[in-house]
Amino acid sequence: MDKKFGVYICTGCGIGESIDTAKLCDLAEEEGLTCKTHSMFCGKEGLDLLKSEVEGGVNTLVLAACSRRVNYDIFRFDGCIVDRVNLREGVVWSHPRAQFPALTEEEKEDEDKFDRVQMMAEDYLRMGMARVERIKLPEPYQLDTLNRKILIIGGGVTGMSAAVDAAKAGYEVTIVEKEATLGGYAAKIRKQLPIKDPYETPIPPIVQSCIDAVEQQSRISVRTNAVVARIAGQPGEFTVTFKKPGEKIEFDVPYPLPEEMMVDESGKELDPETLHQRFMEYNEGRRDILTLDPDGEMFGAVILAAGWRPYEPKKDEFAHLGFGQLPDVVTNHKFEEIAAQGKILRPSDGKEARSVVFIQSPDLESDADFDYAGAVTSLVALKQATYVREDFEDGKSFIFYQHMRTPGLNENFYKKVQQDPGIFMTKGKVAAVSKNGDGMMVEAEDTLLGEKLHVKADMVVLATGMVPLTKDEPVVNMAYRQGPAFRDIDLFNGYVDSNFICFPYETQRTGIYAAGAVRRSMTMEECMEDASGAALKAVQCLESVNRGVSVHPRSGDMTFPDFFFQRCTQCKRCTQECPFGAIDDDAKGTPKPNPTRCRRCGTCMGACPERIINFSDYSIDSIGSMVKAVGVPSEDDYTEPPFRILGLVCENDAYPTLDIAGLNRISYSADVRIIPIRCLGSMNVIWIKDALSQGMDGVFLLGCKHGDDYQCHFVKGSELAEIRVKKIGDALASLALEEERVAQFEVAIDDYPKIPKIINDFVEQIEALGPNPFKGF
Amino acid sequence: MTDKYLVEPDIGFLNEVVGLGGDTLKKCYQCATCSVACPISPDNKPFPRKEMIAASWGLKDRLVGNADVWLCHNCGDCTTLCPRDAKPGDVMAAIRSYAITEYARPKGMAQAVNKINKLPMLLGFPVALIIILGAITGLVNWSPTGEIVHAKFISTWLEDILIIPASIFAVVVFALGLKRFIADIHQNALDAGKTDKEKIDAAEFLKALVRVIPRILKHSKFSQCGENEERATSHMMVFFGFIGLFIVTGIFFVVLYIFGIHGPYSQLNPVKWLANIAGVSLVIGSALMIKNRLAKTDQVSTYKDWQLIGLALALGLTGMLTEMTRLGGAAGLSYTLYFIHLVFVFALFVYLPFSKLAHLVYRTVAMAYAEYSGRKF
Repeated sequence: MDKKFGVYICTGCGIGESIDTAKLCDLAEEEGLTCKTHSMFCGKEGLDLLKSEVEGGVNTLVLAACSRRVNYDIFRFDGCIVDRVNLREGVVWSHPRAQFPALTEEEKEDEDKFDRVQMMAEDYLRMGMARVERIKLPEPYQLDTLNRKILIIGGGVTGMSAAVDAAKAGYEVTIVEKEATLGGYAAKIRKQLPIKDPYETPIPPIVQSCIDAVEQQSRISVRTNAVVARIAGQPGEFTVTFKKPGEKIEFDVPYPLPEEMMVDESGKELDPETLHQRFMEYNEGRRDILTLDPDGEMFGAVILAAGWRPYEPKKDEFAHLGFGQLPDVVTNHKFEEIAAQGKILRPSDGKEARSVVFIQSPDLESDADFDYAGAVTSLVALKQATYVREDFEDGKSFIFYQHMRTPGLNENFYKKVQQDPGIFMTKGKVAAVSKNGDGMMVEAEDTLLGEKLHVKADMVVLATGMVPLTKDEPVVNMAYRQGPAFRDIDLFNGYVDSNFICFPYETQRTGIYAAGAVRRSMTMEECMEDASGAALKAVQCLESVNRGVSVHPRSGDMTFPDFFFQRCTQCKRCTQECPFGAIDDDAKGTPKPNPTRCRRCGTCMGACPERIINFSDYSIDSIGSMVKAVGVPSEDDYTEPPFRILGLVCENDAYPTLDIAGLNRISYSADVRIIPIRCLGSMNVIWIKDALSQGMDGVFLLGCKHGDDYQCHFVKGSELAEIRVKKIGDALASLALEEERVAQFEVAIDDYPKIPKIINDFVEQIEALGPNPFKGF
Repeated sequence: MTDKYLVEPDIGFLNEVVGLGGDTLKKCYQCATCSVACPISPDNKPFPRKEMIAASWGLKDRLVGNADVWLCHNCGDCTTLCPRDAKPGDVMAAIRSYAITEYARPKGMAQAVNKINKLPMLLGFPVALIIILGAITGLVNWSPTGEIVHAKFISTWLEDILIIPASIFAVVVFALGLKRFIADIHQNALDAGKTDKEKIDAAEFLKALVRVIPRILKHSKFSQCGENEERATSHMMVFFGFIGLFIVTGIFFVVLYIFGIHGPYSQLNPVKWLANIAGVSLVIGSALMIKNRLAKTDQVSTYKDWQLIGLALALGLTGMLTEMTRLGGAAGLSYTLYFIHLVFVFALFVYLPFSKLAHLVYRTVAMAYAEYSGRKF
């Protein structure tokens, strides 16, 4: 495209009062660009002006006004590149004149005096102009043929609900179920938890109505006695191979080499060809991931609703509770089986169990519930307590809990059960279960009734948890170079990883959505709601792929990573670091990108040492040129030149945080220059080197929290950035620069009050180090 | 504290407490807001949180012989602040009600006093007694003439033949009940770690009782109540009304039997002043109680509550009206009212150990025990 540039400077919202916009215009005109100002570009008159400019042929607009996070829908012009220079939140509001006074007329005469805020505005305008010169309009990535079918793994309540929802939305669905019939666990219980108002009493299982609904939908096909051997390809064109459970076939998914097999005897990394050879030997009898099954079935998106299995206590794991020794101590799963068959009878002698103790937490030392427990196990204990009461008029149920979790309207259920005169609950620790004549004696401590007590029991039920099937095996069996399972980041105890606070249903694999008990222990009601969410995500994925745009979290982003393969050194860093397994590689180690798996975070771009991965509107060059556009005054310009510090800021949380700081007129040093980047994971160290070598005094990265409660939208970005920053320490030392000139900080989106301290402390630290010795070269 | 406590819920007990006005007890989820809110609960093992769970588990042994249920004055602060609407104040009242029945003997009588359908029988009993004894002894003159003197109608001899044994009956029933009650509350305090006294020393216990009496008279605990502050006033009026009338009765008993001076006594007599003031106090106090109970829709009012207030009002009203009609010269009306008054007085004494009024004894003993056992109350 032939770019025709236009610079537009808004003087509204206090910009005009604070900044000399005429000087900004001069700046643009010096570059040979036309520049116009208006007091309110977002108003009708201002917008009409912009539209007439576009009609007049301008297709590359630099709009110096408010943050790009506001009015983005207004300042969108088809076929045009628009850069938003953030004068309002980033300069004027965050640097009020009360704290950063303008130059007086006298001072203006003095050439050694400068106006920090004006300088800031000018730099940002220059950076915006530099950027638009380097970026291109994105063109969508289109698949040759898009498949819109949705594969659902698991035919339980979750899978069936998801299937019905997707079918109702007009999509073809296949359910694959490993057992002979649909239904899953829901088909094996006496009663289930309430699913609608007033949420008070257990109800007969609704599973049959789910099965009926599935059978009524002509768009749903069901494949029982089958599992997924492998899912190859990418969203919109997954090739799926099915097989019978337990069968061994050549399209079983291969597993990545264990780390110790990836190096030679001396610990050196093997070359790509040897690695691939070893990989094929390791996976003997299985085809490589890039070999597509010619008989495979095509799908566009996948929903994983594999569900859970009951926790099986290890031998003697709960010996103090009599499990394994006393036959009448059972898990809640076993108890449900007994209840489903009829009256509650003791396994030992078939006698009626009229006094049943339900134990929610196994430990005396900690207050933890059983592993993989949750609100569901609390609710199930309440439900099972009512079984005893409905079976026997003089039945008694005791519940000893450390946590009684009944979220939402399930509180009504708790209240109702509580009203039963024969159900007794107390917080407390269970110390021991022992034989007592014909029955058992349960000893509890630290209860609400006192320090130690005894209860006689005919049966004891342990509230063991719901283990996600993904704990045992990958289930999805993706033919991805990073491996067949969702990557385990050691935070979710084997549950399918998803950042469930911000993005439920998302896994680390685009186009494959998890729902139900595979994500966390859930009630059937929750599973059904979860299923709807996952079905909608699958639909969103298909329709995004259809338009060639990103699904999540950069929904609608049309760019995708473009590899300049001629210069690729097959270092595999992009393949390994991509948090979403979007990049495979061939036998030679050359990356094979899968654009529809990609989330456009740019981690590959940040990782690539050859800098051959770029996006049309976000590239090594575009950011690099912005860095270079920052004016770095030296002693040649002023006796005491201001410091220049670059801030590379994650645009997901950290950049909004800065905007909110501006909105609240919270100010920070005017010597920093902020560049938003897609994710700290996309930060390429060349930008830091560029900044320092042109004389900037320091660089800081501002991104999301990482660690156990990570907030990175792309899971690992801020962590990867930290590793990269550590590694450039040596390079800095070789330039005789202090490592402290580069730092990384974490913020959450609501941390805006902390912004001044974070930035100003860093600026002070740099000032203490003194100016960059390369300044002025 | 017992090393291990075998929990055996008594669902029958639980259901009875529910029936006595504690129907909300199962709503408790043990947040302990009640124990924090209670203005009079001690810091060590405060009530009513522990009583609430014991009730919802049907643990009769932890409640019936528990002095703490008597330390509660039913202020209602806990009930107002309870986030679950479990009304601990009402539950405590229901437990007390159960405890009164539990300690009273004969059991059948206790149960009868609790039932509204037995009320005609209970009131019919003294009526019949007066008529029959009157007929046998000839101490009732069914057609008295001349100046209105109530002794002409029912002789003071007959009156005392009825009331004195009734009082002795009440004392004996209480004595038997208290013997078990004190043993139980002591055992409960030992089990729960509320006291370090191993045995009950009678002399020390009496000293504690003497220390507690002024507090009861001053209603110093009752007036700490936040929610039901106005109840302290009406309770005090009824309380002192009864005390005043008890003193007056005592003095006139002495005057009659020792000095042989018969009533009616002059209105100028200071004792008569006391009688009138106490009577008015009783009437106004009990009327206020009725008004408060009717206004407080969030508080449970059971038959036993109404029975006691009703009796107090009936006693006061019939007493005052008897006097007024006598002074007004309405002979027939005055004698009739006097008869009714006498029936209520008899009922008061005979049914005292079984009715809610028994709290006068149990609460006093429980407070004395708290004082004795070093429980900071």
